Amino acid sequence: MTIVRDAANDDTQARPGPEGEDARLVEEATLLDPVVHKQPRRFYAAMRKLDPVHYDAALDMYLVSRWEDIQTVQRDPLTFSVNKGYHTQQAKGFAEEFQQILREKGGGYFPDAIMSDPPYHTRVRKLMESAFTAHRVKDLEPRIEAVVDGLLAELADKGAMDAVTDFAQPLTIRIICEQLGLDWSIKDRIARWSTAVTAQIGRMQDREEMLGHAAQICELQRYLIAKMREREADPREDMISDIVHARDGEGEGSVLTFEEAVSLIRALLIAGNETTATALSNLVLILATEPAVAEMLRASADDDRLMNRFVEELLRIEPPVRGLSRMTTKEVELGGRMLPEGAHLLLLYASANDEPEIFPEPRRFDMERKNIMKHVSFGGGVHKCVGLALARMEIKVAARLLVRKFADVRLAIAEEDIAYLPTVATRSMESLPVTFTLND
Amino acid sequence: MGEICVTLTDIEGSVVEIEDGAEGETLMELARRHDVKGIIAECGGACSCATCHLYIDAAWSAAVGTPDPVEEDMLDMVEDIRRPTSRLSCQITLHPGLDGLIAEVAPEL
Repeated sequence: MTIVRDAANDDTQARPGPEGEDARLVEEATLLDPVVHKQPRRFYAAMRKLDPVHYDAALDMYLVSRWEDIQTVQRDPLTFSVNKGYHTQQAKGFAEEFQQILREKGGGYFPDAIMSDPPYHTRVRKLMESAFTAHRVKDLEPRIEAVVDGLLAELADKGAMDAVTDFAQPLTIRIICEQLGLDWSIKDRIARWSTAVTAQIGRMQDREEMLGHAAQICELQRYLIAKMREREADPREDMISDIVHARDGEGEGSVLTFEEAVSLIRALLIAGNETTATALSNLVLILATEPAVAEMLRASADDDRLMNRFVEELLRIEPPVRGLSRMTTKEVELGGRMLPEGAHLLLLYASANDEPEIFPEPRRFDMERKNIMKHVSFGGGVHKCVGLALARMEIKVAARLLVRKFADVRLAIAEEDIAYLPTVATRSMESLPVTFTLND
Repeated sequence: MGEICVTLTDIEGSVVEIEDGAEGETLMELARRHDVKGIIAECGGACSCATCHLYIDAAWSAAVGTPDPVEEDMLDMVEDIRRPTSRLSCQITLHPGLDGLIAEVAPEL
């Protein structure tokens, strides 16, 4: 069950180009360049070959492009700090003004408690893990099916949809709203809030855009704080109540502070929909552009093992997260390069997933890879995505039901006209208009 | 609470004798408590990552039991390093019947 990807993302993009061209790319290109930003695979391949820990001057970050080096970073959370990396990235260029706005109009500036380092991180993470076990998520499967069914039924008669705004985002927002215990009617606001939060680690907003995003985040925080106050007084069976009342042991540090709780609920809401929605949009894109993958999915829909593998390969071949940050806490060697203390790194997951030595013919969609889970799309080490089981389940159910109900999914715009959100944090389409017919 | 002994061969081939396993804790938690090399447990015991994978000694395989469907899904996706007695140690809860258990840590993903 294998095919070679064609069209814009062809196989050659994962391989280095001619020597001189690669050297020029590494010398001159930056992830902020709109052309590179849209189709970065050739740039990644050139870096892997010539300069695997490459300093991108425009971004003022080191781009880590090889699987092995990303693994080294992820396995050493004290040398490679998420706390410093993430919070240095946040609203970079406008950080002070951004924080001031949140303090004045958003109920406070709440650093991300989960974007921290051990041992502090260990305590916070433990309080969140029980909510996300694979077994707990398995119990959610019927509920997720009902949500996807309902959504597809609403779209069925139309024969056309925007896969991002009509399908992927409503789906993931609906699930996370149910989990958190939030009212689904705020879905449009959640989509805006997600964009605003993600933009803070995206490095591609100007000051005016930052001001707009900050206003959105203020609104988000005020909304969440009000919900938390309600649950403090009147706990329910939902994750906001779980977090507000979470306790691990006794004494100091056994409960979350108010600031920590706001940041965690905010992170669950945003991370719980934005990245998974991107994966679902990628699913529709691949079905619309690669008939052989669509056929593969149809043939797999009734087999749980094959569906798990389909999801994993989809995540490998097109990771929703483009790059997350770390910062060195001491001088350290990485991939043959000496990095000073305070070096700001961006881990390029899509590049690691394209390494032909680990994933032969990396642009080939191959569900039978023996090391299929070796991709780094969920990150790794102590910071590995805490919601991965839920993400996998949402994608699996959506893929299965989509291919059963809809047929002949086609792009309604040219593939080269697809626009991506201006951020280095994710690779997310802004919009994806498609047409489809219905199966009998 | 009885103390349960287990013998684990870590990822570098060193044999680690552990004598303070507690009933009710998982084999992964016990191995982490003793910093057994190769038991990483990235997902924290959620049966979602396969970085606490080990091979149960054949003589102990029946006592430990077989993976449930959720664990089976994970093991299927590490086919390159899977063996017949593969288990994820986060899914093995210690009890007195496992006193003396022998297992080997699987290579990293």
